Amino acid sequence: MKDYWVLVGSFGSGKSELALNLALDFATRGACTLVDLDVVNPYFRTSERGDVLEKAGVELISPPYALHKIEIMSLSPRVYAAFTPGEGKVIFDVGGDHIGAVALGQYKPNFELIPPEHLKVLQIVNPLRPMAAELDGALSVMEKIEGVSRLKINGLVNNANLAEETDVSHLLQGYELVKAMSEKTGVPVLYTCAVPEIMEEFRQVIAEKQLDARYLGRLLPIEVMMHRSWDKFLENGL
Amino acid sequence: MAKKLMKGCEAIAEAAIQAGCRYFFGYPITPQNDIPEYMSLRLPQVGGCFLQAESELAAINMVYGAAGAGARVMTSSSSPGISLKQEGISTCAAAELPCVVVNMMRGGPGLGNIQASQGDYFQATKGGGHGDYHAIVYAPSSIAEAVELMPKAFDVAEDYRTPVIILADGLIGQMMEPVEMPDNPNPVMRDKPWAATGYKPGGAKPRAIINSLYIETEDLDELCRRMQARYREIEKNEQRVELYHTEGAEFILCAYGTVARVCKAAVRILEEQGVKVGLVRPITLWPFPSGAVHDAIAQDSVKAALTVEVSAGQMVEDIRLAVNGCKPVEYLGEAGSRIPEAEEIAERILAMRRA
Repeated sequence: MKDYWVLVGSFGSGKSELALNLALDFATRGACTLVDLDVVNPYFRTSERGDVLEKAGVELISPPYALHKIEIMSLSPRVYAAFTPGEGKVIFDVGGDHIGAVALGQYKPNFELIPPEHLKVLQIVNPLRPMAAELDGALSVMEKIEGVSRLKINGLVNNANLAEETDVSHLLQGYELVKAMSEKTGVPVLYTCAVPEIMEEFRQVIAEKQLDARYLGRLLPIEVMMHRSWDKFLENGL
Repeated sequence: MAKKLMKGCEAIAEAAIQAGCRYFFGYPITPQNDIPEYMSLRLPQVGGCFLQAESELAAINMVYGAAGAGARVMTSSSSPGISLKQEGISTCAAAELPCVVVNMMRGGPGLGNIQASQGDYFQATKGGGHGDYHAIVYAPSSIAEAVELMPKAFDVAEDYRTPVIILADGLIGQMMEPVEMPDNPNPVMRDKPWAATGYKPGGAKPRAIINSLYIETEDLDELCRRMQARYREIEKNEQRVELYHTEGAEFILCAYGTVARVCKAAVRILEEQGVKVGLVRPITLWPFPSGAVHDAIAQDSVKAALTVEVSAGQMVEDIRLAVNGCKPVEYLGEAGSRIPEAEEIAERILAMRRA
């Protein structure tokens, strides 16, 4: 039985970043498929890291012409191949907000056949994005995504970051937000993500402040592979 | 205000709201869709109005209407969409209406592509629409600078009663960087006795007529003289330029917007090799900072200048006019959307040095 990871959340919350990190990690231990389901934004897509994924043995399913810099994307019929019986992990990197999550709705009959223990639907949360810091807003994003995706979000991810200027205070801010979301909805927090150096610092903060493990989930050090900043642009191009 | 991780488009939209902009009329086109998207969410929260028009033409004419009624108003688009707005921009200029137009330039001509480009320099700085008019043109080279320029854009638009263009590119629009919004913006709203806010009989509020049609020769001449006098004022007061390592330089690079950031990397590469190179970065493309450009390039130490553009060579004409033949001015770049690399720029300077 395959395990499914569906990553949803606001625009720019870090879905593609987490998708790439999970895919590269999973691929070291077995088969892994990454479905680029973003039909909203033509820029900064997981598909742009196709070479890295291919080298790691990850199967990438992209919208046709995803890398041709066209504005309107369609979904590949190959997405259905992700639902065929087999072993391994399947990651869906979904477009931002409920607008991007619309693309999930049509696969409801396929998702329905997956036993709940094999289906994780994770909302990625970054309170440092505009209009994303408040509990009401985050819950409204959750509700809208669930509505159009026809899926229940069953895990939260604290991905608080300010790109290269991230520090532990931001992770702490993310912790407070996912904690409040979890308390309100009962949806568990499954991961807290950060680059390794920040994560090390955060471990000390966790001990000092005795943060509640229920709202931390697994601490997942990640490598930054998507890039939107100028320095990264100079290095890697748009 | 605490820093946020923002896309350029989002930051520009929020900065406009912080500057007191409450009206946005637009029509979708990549790569600026995140501006109307953001405005559609935020403007209702601050008591403003977002309206997606049925076309670019409709949008710019809604801007005309709102500006005529004294509102702080903006629109945004990308190259092909900006072409469609030109008639309206000319009309706003002639009716002496303040407004802000953001152009997230993409590859052209025609529909081009959705990558960053600088092909609209002529259109923005030389009129674009018909008739003798100018718009003030700001070219931010970072998201932070775009945020800083937005309130300035609204202020000068109202001070001089003119359209202002923010000429950025798809890269500025789509990049994501930590951004700090101004802490306490408190924009100073200008008094607008000319605005059509309702006639009051008996002289309490005379009729305000917003118009760009002057049938009588003398009437049109008077308008044009007034506009031209205002342009001379703008040229005197509003030029902005960044001079980077220009003093005593052997070569001067000239670039604006994101390309200027690539040029800064080239300056560093060359400095490591012992070559003194500076960069002149016009921040206002109109009024063009001709004096500063001239002074930087005319220095005794300077052998030649090189302008770098993602266009077939547009700003280079203004650079050459400013320099007026006192030093050679070369050009590097190409039309379309390929952004030159720092190494390529450095190599060209080294080649010029050997020549």
